Amino acid sequence: MAESTVLQFSPFQSHVEEGFWKRLSSLKLNTLGLDETPVKITGFYGPCSHAQVSSHLYLLDESLPANLAEESSSSEMVLGNRNRCPIPGTLYNTNTLESFRGLDKQSLIRKEAKKIWEEICSGRVEAACAVLSRFLVISYADLKKWTFHYWFAFPALVLNPSALVSKLQPASEWFNLEEGKSLSEACNEWRKSSLTAAVPFFLVIITADSHVTLRPLKDWETCQRDGHKLLFGFYDPCHLPSNPGWPLRNFLAFICSRCKIEKIQFLCYRERHGLADLTHSLVGEALVSISQEWKNPQFIPEAVGWERNGSKLAPRRIDLATSMDPIRLAMSAA
Amino acid sequence: MVLSQKLHEVYKGAMERFTPPRTVSAFKEKGVLSVDEFVLAGDNLVAKCPTWSWEAGDSSKRKPFLPANKQFLITRNVPCLRRASAIEEEYEAAGGEVLLDNDDDDGWLATHGKPKEKEAKADEEILPSLDALEISNRKTIQSISSHFGGEEEEDIPDMAEYEDFEGVTDPATLPTTYMVACEPDEDAILRTRTYDVSITYDKYYQTPRVWLTGYDESRRVLDLKSVMDDVSQDHARKTVTPGNHPHMSGDHVTVHPCQHAAVMKKIIDVLMSRGVEPEVDKYLFLFLKFMASVIPTIEYDYTMDFDLGTSNH
Repeated sequence: MAESTVLQFSPFQSHVEEGFWKRLSSLKLNTLGLDETPVKITGFYGPCSHAQVSSHLYLLDESLPANLAEESSSSEMVLGNRNRCPIPGTLYNTNTLESFRGLDKQSLIRKEAKKIWEEICSGRVEAACAVLSRFLVISYADLKKWTFHYWFAFPALVLNPSALVSKLQPASEWFNLEEGKSLSEACNEWRKSSLTAAVPFFLVIITADSHVTLRPLKDWETCQRDGHKLLFGFYDPCHLPSNPGWPLRNFLAFICSRCKIEKIQFLCYRERHGLADLTHSLVGEALVSISQEWKNPQFIPEAVGWERNGSKLAPRRIDLATSMDPIRLAMSAA
Repeated sequence: MVLSQKLHEVYKGAMERFTPPRTVSAFKEKGVLSVDEFVLAGDNLVAKCPTWSWEAGDSSKRKPFLPANKQFLITRNVPCLRRASAIEEEYEAAGGEVLLDNDDDDGWLATHGKPKEKEAKADEEILPSLDALEISNRKTIQSISSHFGGEEEEDIPDMAEYEDFEGVTDPATLPTTYMVACEPDEDAILRTRTYDVSITYDKYYQTPRVWLTGYDESRRVLDLKSVMDDVSQDHARKTVTPGNHPHMSGDHVTVHPCQHAAVMKKIIDVLMSRGVEPEVDKYLFLFLKFMASVIPTIEYDYTMDFDLGTSNH
C-alpha cells in the first residue's frame, strides 16, 4: 500500500477589481455613512482553465449591491455563469484604520466557520453548496486619500487529525479510457447547462459498465445506497499537479461529517479551452478520521484561512488616488 | 496634435450620441458589424469558446442599444508566458501576418496623430459617455509600486501583530513558496503574466474593440511599459494605447479600432476570393485571429471552424 502523507491544499487567491472599490466608496458615502454593519457580498470563481495559472476568487462591482435597499432584489444581479460561480461572502468595512487593525480576526473567522459548520449540519449545503466556500473580507476605505486596506479570509474547517492522501494522480490515469470519455462528456454537459454550470460541488457516479453521470450533492444518500463507484467532485481553482485547491477542505469536512465516509475519493475538476481536461484534473483518495468531538452538536471546528500577502500574514493596500481622487482628476484633465 | 485628438474624441462622442446604431448589415461590403450582428457573433464565440462570457458590467454605464446582460465579452486570467518582443522574429517567419499585409507599411496601424506625440500624452482617449466619472484622464497607468503602495508604508500593520492568530502553522496549508509554479523555476514565474481581455462594441467605428488589463505574477497591475512588451512591436504605442473602458473601472489598454473595419474587409475579401463564404456569426473568430497578430503571446481562446487558407495553418 502506498505511504500516506498529510494532504496539503493550495490556498485560494483573491483578486479585487477596481470597480468594487468604486462601488464601495459610493455606497459608503451615499448609504452606509458611519454604519459598520457587515455587508453581504458575492465573490466569483471558476475552475482552473489554464495549466499554468490558478483561478482567483474575484470581487467585481456586482459583488456589492448598488444600494443596500436593493439587496433583496439584487439576487438577479449576482447570477453566475460558468466562468463565475457566485460564492457568498461578508464584508466588514471599518471607519478608521485603528478599528481595522483592532478587529478580532480570530473571532471573525470563527464566526464564518461556525456558519459553514451549521450549514453542513443542517443540510443547507446540499441545497446551496457554494456556502462551503464562504469567505470574509475586512477593509478600511480611506476616502480622503483613496486608499483601501483589505484582507481576505477563506475559512477552512480544520480536520484533526489532518486528512491523509494515499493517492493523487491525473484523472486521465485513474479512469479507464471509456470512463474518461464518459466523464468528460458528463462534465461538459454539466458545465453547459445553465442550471448546473455555476454549481461548484457535485457527485460523480460510475456504473459497472463504465458509464459516468454527475449528480447534485443532495443525491448523496441515494448514490451511496446504489453501491456504484462514487467520487466527490469540485471546481478546482488550483493549477498545481501535486495539490488540490482550497475548496476541497470544507468539502472533506462535509463528506466525513455528513456522509460518514472516511476513505474519500475526490475529483479536482479543471479545464482547458473551457472543456474538461482530464490530464490536468486530479483524482485522489483522502483518508480522514472523524474525531469524537465532531459528533458533539455543540462543537465548532477550528478554522484557518487568512490570506497571505506574499509570504507574510498581512493585509493588502491599494492606492487608487490617480483614478478616483476628483482633485487629481480635475488637474490631469486641465 | 493633442488638441486635434481631443476634438476628434468629442466629435466621435457626439456622433455616437446622435447617430442611431447600425441596423443594416454591411459585413461583407465594409467589414463592419451592426449591433445585432455583434450580439450574434458574441453568442457564437461564447458557445464555441466557453472561456469567454458576456457580462453586464456597471449598470450606470450600460449602453441602451445592447442587451442589458450582453454589454461586453470578457475572458479573465489568461496566461501570457512569453514576451512578444522576444518572439517577434519567430512569429514573422511563421507567416502569421500574411493576411494583414498592406501595400504601404502603415496599413491599419496608423491612427490619428503621430506615434511620438501619442506616447507622450498617451491617454487622450475619452470614451463618449454621459457619465461624469468617465471624464477621467490618466496620464499613464500606475507603476506597480505606486499603485499598490510601498510595502514598508508606516500605516501597514506589522505582521508580528497577526502572527499568533493562525496559531501553530496549519500542516494542511500548502506553503506559499510552492504555490506560484509547479517547479521552482524562477524564470518561469517571472515570465508568467496574466491578462483580462475584453471586447466591447464600438458604435462609432461599428466594430468590436479589444481592451486589456495585465497583471504580474503577484497579481499587481502592469504598467504601460510592461504591457507594451506583450504587444507586437509594430503596434506598440501606435494602435495600442491606454484608454478608459466603457463598462469597467481601472487601467486598460486598448487596440484602437479605426482600421479594424478595413482589415476585416481585407480578410473577408481574401476568404471570398478563395471561395469561402464568411458568415457573420464567425466575425469574432476572424477578428480574434487578427488581434493575435497584435498581442501574439496572450493565450486567449479562439477556435477556427474553417480554414483561412493560409499555408501555415
